[in-house]
Amino acid sequence: MHDEPLTPGNLSQSATEHVDYLDQRIVRALETAPEPQIPAGFAARVASQLSARRPVSLTPTHYGQKAMLVGTVVTLAALLVLALNFTALHSTSHATFGLLESLLSAQFLALAVWFSLWRHSLR
Amino acid sequence: MPTDLTFEQVVRDHQEMVFRTLLRLTGSREHLDDLAQDVFLRLYRALPSFRGDALITTYLYRIAVNIAQDEWKRRRRDRDTHVSLSDDTSGWEDRLAHPDRNAEQQLEEHEFQQAVEEQLQRLSQVERTILVLYHQEERTYEQIAYALNMPIGTVRTHLHRGRKKLREGLQQRQTQERRAACTTNH
Repeated sequence: MHDEPLTPGNLSQSATEHVDYLDQRIVRALETAPEPQIPAGFAARVASQLSARRPVSLTPTHYGQKAMLVGTVVTLAALLVLALNFTALHSTSHATFGLLESLLSAQFLALAVWFSLWRHSLR
Repeated sequence: MPTDLTFEQVVRDHQEMVFRTLLRLTGSREHLDDLAQDVFLRLYRALPSFRGDALITTYLYRIAVNIAQDEWKRRRRDRDTHVSLSDDTSGWEDRLAHPDRNAEQQLEEHEFQQAVEEQLQRLSQVERTILVLYHQEERTYEQIAYALNMPIGTVRTHLHRGRKKLREGLQQRQTQERRAACTTNH
C-alpha cells in the first residue's frame, strides 16, 4: 500500500528504471523504523508524575442531559395545558394557538429524538 | 490508584510507537525521554475531553507531532537546526545491519540510510511528518489528515512533494559523490 511509484512520465527507459530503483530504496529506507532505547520503568515514571499533579476530575457532569430532560418535561406540560384549554379558547385565537401547539409539538419531538439518539450513542 | 495503573498500561502499550515517531521526526535522541513524557502527560490532560471519535493511537500521533513541532521551534531558537548525523545523540541507523548481507552491501545500505535521514531532516516539517507517518508508521491518509488537522488532498500533495524532494536530494548527492570520485581518480 505504501510503496507507490513516483516515476515521472517523460524519462527514458533506463532513467525510469534508475528512478524506480531509487524510489524502492527510498521507500525501504523510510519503512525501516528506528529502534529507540526506552528507559526501564518509563511507564511507571510517567504514572508517578500523574500522582504528583492535581488529579483530573473524571466525573461526568451531564449538564446538557439535565437541560434536555427539563426542556422535554416543560414542553410536554405546555402541550397538555394548551390541549386542555383549546376548546375553551375564543375562535379568533384559534389560529394562533394552533400554531403554538404545532411549534411545541415539533420542539417536543425534536427533543425526544435527540434524547434517544444520545442514549443510543452511549451504548 | 486504579486510574494511574490503567494509564501506566496505556503508556506501556504505546511507548515504543511514541519514542520511534519522535526519534524519526526530531532526528535526534536528545531529550527524547522528556519529549515522550510530555506526549503522555498531554494525553492524560486531554483524556477528559477525549470523545473517542478517533483511535487513541491516532490521537497520540497528533500530540507527538505537536511536541516535535515545539522541539523544532526550540531548536530554531537555539540556532541548532542543523542535525549532524555524526552527532552521538543521533545515528539510530547504526543498528540496522542485516546479518544475511555481506559487509560491502551492509556498508552501502548504511550509507544510503544515513543519506535518507539527512535528506529527511532537510524537508519541511510537514513533509517530513507526513513521510514518517505514511511510510514508517503506515498510517492511512485519513489518519494523517486527522493527526495534522488538514484535508486529505493536502496530505497527498505534501507526501508526493516530500518524496520528490527526497529523491532529487539523493540524486544530487549521488552526482556530487561521482564527481568527487572522478576528481580524486584524475
